Amino acid sequence: MHSIRTALFVLCAAAAAGAQEIKVGGIFDLTGITSDVGKPFAQGVRDGVQWTNENGGINGKKIRLVDVDYGYKIPEAVAAYKRMVGDDKVIMINGWGTGDTEGLKAQVNQDKIPYLSASFSGHLTDPSKTPYNFFVAPSYSDQLRAWLQWVKDDWKDKSRNPKVAFFYGDNAYGKAPIEAGRRYCKDIGVDLVDEEIVPGAFQDATSQLLNMKQKGADYAYINVTTTGVSTILRDAKKLGLATKFGSNPYGFSEALPQVAKEAAEGVTGVMPHVPFGENVPGMKRLMDFHQKNHPQDTHDALYVRGWSYVLVWTEALKRADKAKALTGEGVKAALETFKDFDLGGLTEPVTYTSSDHRPSTKTPIYQIKSGKLTKVREVEMPRKPEWLGL
Amino acid sequence: MEFFLQLLLNGLVVGSIYSLVALGFVIIFKASGILNFAQGEFLLLGAYVFLAISSAHAPIYAALLLTLAFSAILGILLERLVLRPLIGEPIISVIMVTLGLSSVLRAIVQGFWGTDTRPLPSVFSLEPILLGPLPIARGYLYGAACVAVLLVVLTLFFKYSRPGVAMRATADSQQVALSMGISVRRIFALSWSIAAVVSAVGGILLATMRGGVDGSLAILGLKVLPAVIVGGLDSIGGAILGGLIIGILENLSGGYLDPVFGGGVKEVAPFVALVLILMVRPYGLFGKVRIERV
Amino acid sequence: MLSGEFHTSYRADMAIYETARARRVLAAFLVVLFVLPFFGSPYWLDVLNRAAIAVIAATGLNILTGFTGQISLGNAAFLAIGAYSTAYLAARGVPFALVIPAAGIVTALAGMVFGVPSLRLKGLYLAMATLAAHFIVEFLVTHWESVTGGVNGTSVPAPSVFGLPLANDRMLAFLILPACIAHLWFAKNLFRTRVGKAFVAIRDQDISAEVMGVEVFRFKLLAFGVSSFYVGVAGSLLAYQARIISPENFPLLVAIDQLGMIIIGGLGSILGSILGAVFWTFLNEGLRLMVSALSGQFPGLVQQFAPLRLGVFGLIVILFLVFEPDGLAAIWRRIRNWFRLYPFSY
Repeated sequence: MHSIRTALFVLCAAAAAGAQEIKVGGIFDLTGITSDVGKPFAQGVRDGVQWTNENGGINGKKIRLVDVDYGYKIPEAVAAYKRMVGDDKVIMINGWGTGDTEGLKAQVNQDKIPYLSASFSGHLTDPSKTPYNFFVAPSYSDQLRAWLQWVKDDWKDKSRNPKVAFFYGDNAYGKAPIEAGRRYCKDIGVDLVDEEIVPGAFQDATSQLLNMKQKGADYAYINVTTTGVSTILRDAKKLGLATKFGSNPYGFSEALPQVAKEAAEGVTGVMPHVPFGENVPGMKRLMDFHQKNHPQDTHDALYVRGWSYVLVWTEALKRADKAKALTGEGVKAALETFKDFDLGGLTEPVTYTSSDHRPSTKTPIYQIKSGKLTKVREVEMPRKPEWLGL
Repeated sequence: MEFFLQLLLNGLVVGSIYSLVALGFVIIFKASGILNFAQGEFLLLGAYVFLAISSAHAPIYAALLLTLAFSAILGILLERLVLRPLIGEPIISVIMVTLGLSSVLRAIVQGFWGTDTRPLPSVFSLEPILLGPLPIARGYLYGAACVAVLLVVLTLFFKYSRPGVAMRATADSQQVALSMGISVRRIFALSWSIAAVVSAVGGILLATMRGGVDGSLAILGLKVLPAVIVGGLDSIGGAILGGLIIGILENLSGGYLDPVFGGGVKEVAPFVALVLILMVRPYGLFGKVRIERV
Repeated sequence: MLSGEFHTSYRADMAIYETARARRVLAAFLVVLFVLPFFGSPYWLDVLNRAAIAVIAATGLNILTGFTGQISLGNAAFLAIGAYSTAYLAARGVPFALVIPAAGIVTALAGMVFGVPSLRLKGLYLAMATLAAHFIVEFLVTHWESVTGGVNGTSVPAPSVFGLPLANDRMLAFLILPACIAHLWFAKNLFRTRVGKAFVAIRDQDISAEVMGVEVFRFKLLAFGVSSFYVGVAGSLLAYQARIISPENFPLLVAIDQLGMIIIGGLGSILGSILGAVFWTFLNEGLRLMVSALSGQFPGLVQQFAPLRLGVFGLIVILFLVFEPDGLAAIWRRIRNWFRLYPFSY
């Protein structure tokens, strides 16, 4: 009798716990070619989830993050997706890379699973094509445009246009903003003189840099991750190049000056999320959590990025829950009610509509001065309809 | 012209590191007939151990010596534990064992140190030295000089020292060497040891040149295969020349052909060269020719 | 206890399953196998399908490496050729019943092209050539964007049977499992024919084979062709199953994994290919489940899955090679013989 009672109790508790849990999938790169930025992002997401669960959860319900490391391999991401949706029954996924997100976009649309990717590919911004894809930052394309605008303004020689080169990886992530960048260069009068492709993982960019030197680029935008940016910068310094380099948001963080050391001096980058410890109201939560749980660790802007994602989708979950629509469709609808949702300065306020999934179009540009990341300006891009989905 | 010379120079420098690793390959092959697919992982492990020791604030020279000692011991250990039981097994088993070994070593490195790039304390400044109009990184120059010295030392070792001559004898014919009183077992251990040490040196040099250590260093293990085949699997001079040739080929094809094909040529060119050499002269430029007639 | 076999005809002597009992066991196993897709969860069906595809690919590799002694590191490249041919043809509306054999034939031709160097090369050198083939094919796949979609990959429409699309793993299983069984049956029969025995002769002592009248080069090419056909079909099924393929589906690790599978399973044995492929696929999943189950207590463990998988793979290969070079098939045979000869097994 006693054992039956205990069994029933356990069953009820389990059922209750199950009913109280919201399952969210997490597909991260912890060991692959982008793991240098993937790991701090994943930690930010995990910490954000833990903080949320400790502070009331989603209207009382706890979040269970079903996370997996896919090593930046698309087939692993596809298999993980199948598991999460088919077996674990998650209602939304916090994803990572461009290649796999773009690869899965038809599937998430069919399965109605909101997919918040760390990839800011412009191809994911048009709800008429990818209604279930979201991300929390200006798109890669808008960021590249912003940087090109900075180049145009930084260039002082009135006799000719500035010459720009693009460095990008041989994958979907690397190529994402390039077409947008090419067109924008034509629009604002910047000469795109060279495009250099680097493989996914490389130790030596000398021949690519020499090619660029031949074409005489004054500026170059690097679209890889921090490790690759560091290699390029160091090789450029060894060759004595005068080109000014800029990086995308996954190549530019506090880690860059540490790895590239003096080669990183003067390098600019787009930073949609603030560095860790920046003086903004939203940072307090993160600092307190950090102090309480792992004061020994160091964090960077990628960690902040992970947190900001959690803040966005937990808010969406709360809104969906209040509307009694805790399903994939409900969460999507909830996200599309976001209007200037404030994240306390961690990143620009977020707005999604059912016709436009670009959360914001304002890009801060930072520069490394004396080994520290310093904000130089913010560039706002207009929300042009012809740029939607590019 | 300057472009060409710069590529050539870069190719020579990178190629010298390939020569070093290729040498390790050839040493093992000459002595024991095994093609060691784990050579890249020796490189990797050497670089990481160096990183670990120097991060513990040991002076550079101490770190260097300790790493070399570690590699030497690793080589001996692996030979004893893994390769000894496979003497006489068909070649596919041996290839698979070294592949398995490379997986295990890479897993250990990933498990302990993760996949981040770990920065190394700066040994060389990044300011380039100018050779005429061509800038070359200080680290590259020192690296190339190091390799040259090492190659000379090894060549002399094989030619004049007792263990060196014994190794060459064993490579020629194990049975005759045994009957001459040479301990073939010890020669095997010695050859693996030297190969591991040489790779570790290559790894350390490469890491200091790049300023950081990460998992992609192991790719060198595969890249060196074309160098070894071009030079000839059982020729030390061939390994050295093969490494330089592949380094130059990589850089030249990268510089001239990458814009044509949109990237990636640098990685595939050595393998195209490999296929061509296998078609035309399978035993490489300096390898011994095995003739089979039916 | 099985107390001897008494055959009264050549046919009975050469049968694959010599006793009625063996045939009955096989039939029962097949019935179970075909009932599984009705009950499995989507995740396990995905694993089952991937295992079956791996079995086909491993069998192909075994034909080349285990039975004919030609070491090939190019399996990933051939899988890619099969998969991309499928994507290309399927996107143009060709029905799957034609696409799969077509992909197999394309890959077989490619395989024979890469087999040409085998005329002059043996052992190590052939391994090098196939390794180079892998990188060259990888380069082609990444850069021939008009056909392969380059690094972004390409999506594959679902195969449709009389208008019904086989859109999920449950339905695909009814395509993949019969294909797998058919290929295994063919392979088993192959080694009862003259061609198959020629392959084995080449492996054992190719100079003697030549002397005995086996045209070594012709049969080597044929071995490459047949093996590549198998791998091409496996690649084709992989494309239909994964629905999205990109160069990342075919890294060198896949080729090494498959070599590992046939070594663990047993070189030169069809049963070995099955055991090795199934063992390795399920071990992979088992590791993954264990890691995710334990990651509650050890959050850092998720990160360790990749090195763990790599390390376990390497370790198992090494252990098998050192202690049981004939693989799981040999272990199975020993166990089976023990039961067969009980109580006289010693």
